Amino acid sequence: MRYEVALAGRALRVDLSSDGRFAVDGQAVAADAREVVRGRQWSVVLDGRSHEVTLVTYEPLRLDVDGVDVEVSVVDERSQSARRDGIRSASGRVEIRAPMPGLLKSVHVAEGDTVERDAPLVTLEAMKMENELRSPVRGRVTKLGYASGTKVEGGAVLAVLVQTSE
Amino acid sequence: MRAADEAYPVGAAPPAESYLNAARILAVATRAKCDAVHPGYGFLSENAAFAQAVVDAGLVFVGPPAAVQRALGEKTTARRIAREAGVPVAEGTEPLADLADARVAARRIGYPVLLKPAGGGGGKGMRLVAREEDLAPAWRMSTGEATAAFGAPALYLERAIERPRHVEMQILADQRGSVVWLGERDCSIQRRHQKLIEETPGPAVDATLRRRLGEAAVRVARAAAYRSAGTVEFLVDASAGFVFLEVNTRLQVEHPVTEMVTGLDLVALQLRIADGEALPFAQADVAPRGAAIECRITAEDARAGFVPTGGVVALVREPAGPGVRVDSALVAGVSVPTEYDPLLAKVIAHGPDRATAIVRLRRALREMRVAGLPTALPFHRHVLAEPDFVAGRYDTGYVAAHWPPRDEPELADTAAASAALVAVLARRERSARAPQAPDDGAWARAAREDALRELPT
Repeated sequence: MRYEVALAGRALRVDLSSDGRFAVDGQAVAADAREVVRGRQWSVVLDGRSHEVTLVTYEPLRLDVDGVDVEVSVVDERSQSARRDGIRSASGRVEIRAPMPGLLKSVHVAEGDTVERDAPLVTLEAMKMENELRSPVRGRVTKLGYASGTKVEGGAVLAVLVQTSE
Repeated sequence: MRAADEAYPVGAAPPAESYLNAARILAVATRAKCDAVHPGYGFLSENAAFAQAVVDAGLVFVGPPAAVQRALGEKTTARRIAREAGVPVAEGTEPLADLADARVAARRIGYPVLLKPAGGGGGKGMRLVAREEDLAPAWRMSTGEATAAFGAPALYLERAIERPRHVEMQILADQRGSVVWLGERDCSIQRRHQKLIEETPGPAVDATLRRRLGEAAVRVARAAAYRSAGTVEFLVDASAGFVFLEVNTRLQVEHPVTEMVTGLDLVALQLRIADGEALPFAQADVAPRGAAIECRITAEDARAGFVPTGGVVALVREPAGPGVRVDSALVAGVSVPTEYDPLLAKVIAHGPDRATAIVRLRRALREMRVAGLPTALPFHRHVLAEPDFVAGRYDTGYVAAHWPPRDEPELADTAAASAALVAVLARRERSARAPQAPDDGAWARAAREDALRELPT
């Protein structure tokens, strides 16, 4: 499984294989990660450096790394594709939510616009990475939550669409 | 509670049914054959009616007498006492009848003004009003908050001092008329007018100002016939001018910094004074050594503007080492309720000088771990390394100017990779569990059971 991790102004790609080996940014890493306190604290030895990582809160994801406070976002391939499908209700209403807190860099559509599936809706800058959020459906934009240049919380509703028949 | 030899329930969680229920507390005290009641520094420590009720029940109240608390607790009376004792006070009013009255007074004093409850301190219900159009909404909110916090809606106005430092003086007074001052604490690092970091000596206080503040505090204490430990609060401006603010008629949360530099046990001295003993030393014997700084670790999400947070403490590691003191209520597995003050722990460091105290406190904060709920720990770690704080350049505007931090934290490559790996492992572990599992499931349960096992049965 591949994960995109953003923390402390960095973007890291973590590949975790089924046998527990992992790679960071495509490079296999020799690391010894021990779960010292179940679900809460890990001792990691990496390239001869020892680090203690504590899970402070899971929602939002905050870690204490050797006494340094770090906010983290993790996106895996599966949830990335799941997110593409948006949150859909029976009425065909689809909410596009911010996957993480960030700056709404630009809004590519206007209320009332009809958009195709996969059309870019907004660009969200989070942890110094730009994420283009695309429409999971063909539909009409009924509401835009924020103007570009706005700082948004994780989970903020950025746009609402009503699905139209394909 | 775990440190106590005996413990009795005082009621349900809402404060009105437990810690504010004086009759219940006195019934327990009588049943347990107590001869004195120490009110701590919480709900009942500045409650004159409680102090009187303790005495009426035939017990000793460890603190100033009810009459002293009543006089100093009414803030405009306290200002009058200070003024008559020759201590400068900020230009201000008596309790105001209504909003119209406030408007006239504010025009006379000149904006910005501070709108304050007459019935109590601690920053609750206090508002800075910059313009006349802000006065009406401030009046409404402060009236509501003053009523809720002190049971008294009365408000008064005071001239606001621009970017002041909040400097307070510790005093001790015995029942025989001896009063001493034990040095100042700078408590300017505040949010919502409530203190986060306190230190002694104050970075902006020289020997001359210290003596002036100490003597002013003693004059106020004498004029009020003060007994026991107390704190006289002042605002100090950029040119070392000062005005009297209020008297806290109790031991304060930040008293450990004074204990660290003076070597005195303030609680023990309170008990000896309550027992009628004379102060065992004179002013000339007070010789503070070095510097001490305290950080309040609160159950507040510092990153989200210090919103109070509840939750279960999943993991705790308290720091130790030379010159480090930790006063803490943190135990893994304990549920932090939102009914009370958010204070979880105080981390205090002492050193031969301020620079050493800072280095020790910085190391202690990096050693400390609290998981399970957001705390103010990230704030304190940031401030202890922030250049203006390290240089001692700060006033009550510090938090607004320096928090949240603009820069991302610095992490070595291996630390960042380790964090990324743990984030992925934690994520995988969570999704392997039931999707609706609460944040602190098995571990917290296990910890709670461990904690319970430590309790005497």
